[in-house]
Parts: sequence; C-alpha cells; structure tokens
Amino acid sequence: MNYIFNPKKVALIGASEKENSVGLGLAKNMLSDNVFFVNPNRESVLGVNCYDKITDIKEDIDLAVIAVPSRIVKSIVDDCVLKKVKGVVIISGGFKEVGNQKEEEEIRDILRENKISLIGPNCLGIISENINASFSYATPQKGSIAFLSQSGAIINSVIDRAGFSKIVSYGNEADLELVDFLEYLDKDKQTKVIAIYLEGIKDGRRFMEVARKIKKPIVLIKAGRSKLGSIAVGTHTGALSGNYDVFVSAMKQIGVITVDSIEELIDFSKALASLPKCKNGVGIITNGGGLGVLAADYCFEYKIDLPELSKETLTKLKELDGVENKINPLDIIGDAMPQRYRIAMDALLSQKDIGGLIVISAPQTMTDHQENAKIVIEMRKKYPLKPIVCCFHSGELEDIPNYGDVLRAVKSIKKLYE
Amino acid sequence: MNILSFQETERILSKYKIPFCKTEIFNSKEKAFLFAKKIGFPVALKVHGQKVFHKSEIGGVKINIKEEDFDLAWEEIISNVEGKIIEGVLVQEMFHGNEVAIGMNRDDQFGPTIMFGLGGIFIEIIKDVSLRVAPIDKEEAEKMIKELKGFKILDGARGNPKANINSLVNMLVNISNLALKEDQIKSIDFNPVIVNNSKALVADFRIIV
Repeated sequence: MNYIFNPKKVALIGASEKENSVGLGLAKNMLSDNVFFVNPNRESVLGVNCYDKITDIKEDIDLAVIAVPSRIVKSIVDDCVLKKVKGVVIISGGFKEVGNQKEEEEIRDILRENKISLIGPNCLGIISENINASFSYATPQKGSIAFLSQSGAIINSVIDRAGFSKIVSYGNEADLELVDFLEYLDKDKQTKVIAIYLEGIKDGRRFMEVARKIKKPIVLIKAGRSKLGSIAVGTHTGALSGNYDVFVSAMKQIGVITVDSIEELIDFSKALASLPKCKNGVGIITNGGGLGVLAADYCFEYKIDLPELSKETLTKLKELDGVENKINPLDIIGDAMPQRYRIAMDALLSQKDIGGLIVISAPQTMTDHQENAKIVIEMRKKYPLKPIVCCFHSGELEDIPNYGDVLRAVKSIKKLYE
Repeated sequence: MNILSFQETERILSKYKIPFCKTEIFNSKEKAFLFAKKIGFPVALKVHGQKVFHKSEIGGVKINIKEEDFDLAWEEIISNVEGKIIEGVLVQEMFHGNEVAIGMNRDDQFGPTIMFGLGGIFIEIIKDVSLRVAPIDKEEAEKMIKELKGFKILDGARGNPKANINSLVNMLVNISNLALKEDQIKSIDFNPVIVNNSKALVADFRIIV
C-alpha cells in the first residue's frame, strides 16, 4: 500500500481537458513532475505530453490511476500488468454497484494474480501528503486525521474543514477493503486518528476483529440507519446497511466512537488528533458569563467534573483586577484583555485536579482574539499533558480545536476521557 | 421456522446451564394435575406447539391458577386452541420477582447478537434494551445490564426487590455460548426471565429453529 500512498512515479490513464470531466479534475490535482498522462486521443493535457499507452512510458510506474469508461477498464488493467505497476486506483464506476459483479471480479483476479493492489473501482481516489490522486475539488491541508469514506461527496464536503494525513475513497472494495486501510493507517506515522464514513459493512465480525486491535482512536459515522436511508444505501454503493442498533452496540463493544453528524465526526477527530487524554476535571475560562454558564451546564450533562478552585489557584488569581467571583467556570468579564487570560489559564492549568481547559473568547468590543489565541498556544506548550479546547470568535489557534458552539467544545473534550 | 419442542428446549437449556422454572408438558389433564400438586399451587398453564407463536393472544396462557380452578383453566385453554396443532400444555411453577427479557438474534452482518431488557412495558413501549454481539464475557454482560435506563429498578429502587445481578450475568454469558455453538437455532426469546435476590429463572421460552 505504501506504493499507492507514496508513489515515486504515477500514471493517469484517461487524463482529459474536457470541461467538467473526471479526467480533468484528476489531471489538475495530480499535475507534477512525477506524473505521466495517458490518453491516445490527445497530444497533451494541461501542457503535459500524453502517451498512447502506459507501456510507452520508459520510467517505472508505481501507481496507475484509471479513469476511463468501464468497458475498457479491463484492457487498461492488462496494460498496467505488463507495465508492472505496484498499485492501481480505479476511479471508473459501472461495476458491482450497477450489477456488473463478474467484470469487477475478473479485474480484481488479474491484479491479485500479479500481486498488484487495487483501490476501487467506483471511487473519488486517494489523497496523501505526497499526492492528490483524486478528483476532489480541493487539496486539503496536511494534518493527522485519516479519513476513509464510502462516499466521494462527503470527502469533498469535509476537505477544507480539517487537516488530513490520508483520504481514501475506497469505492466497491473489490480488492483492498476498509479493514486493510485500518491496519495500514494504524502503522502510519502521520495519522493520529481514523475517521470513517460508512454505508454498509462487508463482514461485521471481521471488522470487529480488526478494529478491536487498532490502537489509534476510530471515529465513525454510519449512514443507512432508517428504512428509507438503507434503501438509498443499496442504490448508492450496492452495500447492505444492516440494523443500526446492532451496529452501534458492536462499535461500542470494540471502542469505536460512533457519531450522529459530519460536524461531530470532524469535531471529535480534531480533538483526538491534536490533544492528549483528559485525566481529570476541566476548568472553564470565559469573557462572557452566559457562555460560561452554558458550558458548565453542558459539562454537568456530559458528566465532566468542574473542580473547585484551590486556595493556591485563588491566590494566583488575586492579580485579576476587577474580577469579583472567582469560581469554576471563571468569568474574567467582558472587558478581559489578554493579560487576564494569561493569569487565569496559567493559574487553572497549574491546579493539579484540573485536567484540561475550555477557553471562551466571545466577541466583546475590546476583545483581542488574536492575542488571546497566542496565549492559548503558549499555554498548550507550557502544559503539554493538559488538553485545551476553544470557543474563539476568531484568532489563529494552529492545531488547537476551536468550536463555534460551547456544546461542541464540551462534547469534544468529553471524547478525550474515553 | 418452527418453535423448538419442549423436550429439545429442556435439553438445550440444561446443556448450557440456563435455569428455568419447574416445567413439564402434558396432554392429559389428570397427569398435569398430579404434577401441579407436586410442584405446588398456584401454577401457570401455557400451550406449547411448533407453530404456536403467539400463545397469549389466542388464550393459550393462564397464570396463578389455584388448585380448585385447575380443571376449568385446563378446559378453557384446550377449547381456546382447538384446531391448532399443539405439542401439549406446559404446567409451570409460579416464580416471583422482577421481570426481564433476554433474546438472541442472528444479524446478517454481525452474526449472533444478545439482547437484554426489562420486561413488560419497558421493552415494548420504552424500548429500554441493550445489545451486544456474541461472544460476551461476564464483564460485558454486566455492562449490558447496568446500561439500561431502568437498571435502578433491578437495583432495588422504590422498594423493589433487589435482583441477583450475578445470576443474570451468568445467564447472558451462557446464552452467548449457546448462540455461538448451536447454529441451527435462529433466535431465542426468553420473556420473561424472572429474577429475585437469589436466582434468575426463565419463565417463558421461545426458541426458533
């Protein structure tokens, strides 16, 4: 699989300049010195010379990406075998999902006989730190979340919402399956958390057996929960969606986090990817009373402890001019300038039984979000074992998760306990 | 799809150490009466047959029957199920405690699954149940029981008798073992299982093969 995610030389078969075509989307994303385009009907694509066949390329090719009509996929695969490529991604649809199981198996068997790994068919492609071999509408920022998705559109909808180490649209799973990617990603140095969008599962017991052994956190959203939804799954990927209650129970049994929305999928993945476990209760610091109260309510609801401020902490907080009520949640008042954030964060983080912080920077007239963000980053470095999540109106927080709603912040920090 | 015969049900339950209320099957009222007398009144009468899936709905169940009412109850059940093919009528001891339900089903994707819930309206209306994929160990079985919203009812809330959780844990683990080994069994429905502070007994069994 390493050849697929970190190929030296790549060929795109079906490169195109036709507007709104998959071949053009791929060509744009893949364009680099190490990519060769193949299309017998064109001289060049995006100014790069086109070969008639992959076998015409002199250099060794690690990865072949195939985006041609389904009826000629097999002959292209034969060429790839001749060329001795190491891995193949078949973007083209028109196989199992529309009933052409036999054609799909034929292609898989040829590749297996020649020990060539296959991703797809019927997928958006793959993205790693080194290559974007997909027709995604954008290339994501680098990060430590790996995303495995049975839907290409969902990849597109989250691609600019987090940093990713790998993205795999695994399509019909003719050869490489979801569980194979889990095993690969568990060893992948860039990946810290694995997020999954799933419609149907091939073999539930096998999934449990593999996922149980994965050391990195897995966050998963399952579609096809309702009767109508499961019919839609059948027409979308040809998978069986199964009984959702059984699914959730099975995931709970093996420690996989199931979520209800794409927003939660990204929220929790971000927290798990960039923050340490929370080993104690949390402290809340806010420049807006209402938001602090809401955060405290949510913490109660989600059974997160809010430790009382200790004598030592209160002594340190004496420097906070103009703040009367010193409790947790700590309201440093609407006119809080960055210095108050610094004093408050440092004091609370140094308290032993406070394991992490929720820091809120609401837009008051005088709030300096940018400066507050710098202090958060500084404190995160000073207390590396204590997670911090933020509700900042703005400001550059680097990889510290920032949520637009305190409920999202509370639910995300909760995941750092499990 | 058939309901397992009483004899086979008895054999399977014993094999997997799943305790059940004292029960015997009869076709003769006189013999049934003698057995009832032996185990002590009041008793329950329940019709049992390969195709009798909803025995309560057709009037095939009567509980808390006293000695003097036995004859009438027997006759009524027999007339209620007239025309239906039955294996016989079960005579069963009345055992009192909290009612819970335990089930096993085979999921297309995950294989055998075990369900635990509180009996009666809790399972039907509130759907307060927990599920697991078999196999489960004791620790997992205990989690299953404790994650019910209504767990406090089993734990002695509002003067309810405290249930023997350990006996339920053992029963769940044994059913999980059964599910993995007896492929011919499609589903199991033990509802109710009655649990008091010393033991848990299956009172109603429906094993589908």
